[in-house]
Amino acid sequence: MNIQNTAAAPLLRTIDTTRFGEVSVPEDDVFTLKWGLPGFGFLREFVVLALEDQKPYLWLQSLERSDIALPLIDPWALFSDYDPQLPSVTAAVLEIERPEDFCLMCVCVVGPEAKELTVNLLAPLVFNLRLRIARQVMLEDSIYSIRTPIPRADEPAKEANSA
Amino acid sequence: MLVLSRKLNQAIMIGDDVRIVVVSVDRDQVKLGIDAPRAIAVHRSEIYDEIQRQNREAATSMLEPGPVATPTTAQLRPGPAKFPGAKRPPKPLKPPT
Repeated sequence: MNIQNTAAAPLLRTIDTTRFGEVSVPEDDVFTLKWGLPGFGFLREFVVLALEDQKPYLWLQSLERSDIALPLIDPWALFSDYDPQLPSVTAAVLEIERPEDFCLMCVCVVGPEAKELTVNLLAPLVFNLRLRIARQVMLEDSIYSIRTPIPRADEPAKEANSA
Repeated sequence: MLVLSRKLNQAIMIGDDVRIVVVSVDRDQVKLGIDAPRAIAVHRSEIYDEIQRQNREAATSMLEPGPVATPTTAQLRPGPAKFPGAKRPPKPLKPPT
């Protein structure tokens, strides 16, 4: 007999992480990167974790490798004029049917003592929130940089394409 | 590495569904045409390598302050991004019945 996953008792998955210790995540929150993540092509299952004191950053944590986690950020939290021209095939491949089906996050590099602070605006991660699949998508003929400096709090905000 | 010689307009097949054609040759520049299923991403290697490098460096990131609280899964919300023609997404091809 199958055990039903009811709303009252969501299936939890406990994962060991190097950065955050043991974390329990609802099974439904797992994303499958069906096509892998460049540089970590052998990993498929990830969760997006939030820590209260690290806003606006999130972490893309691997479920298969406890030590692999990449900081993510909502690009519009940094650059309100960010305008990625997503290839139309992405919608088909990720089976995105409606605008409310998906969201976009960008990978950040936060160097030791935050000496390097950049965000990859050229290859955002596209998440299908309904099917829980995601893929890093390279924008074609784009003005955006893989290493766009993140404006620091004490600097005036710049435009996303000035990098 | 497998090395093949091809002339103009000759092609190679990779697996059953990726075809690469030599479209033009001009001194040290070769133009290639690539036919591949749309789920297969085709990129210039140098950009792909740079994305790989950026992802690997991202995985060494340290954010201050360190984790003091237990993380929870983030509730991702749809953003302002749009697909061209998002109202009518191309339908996946159905296999013949």
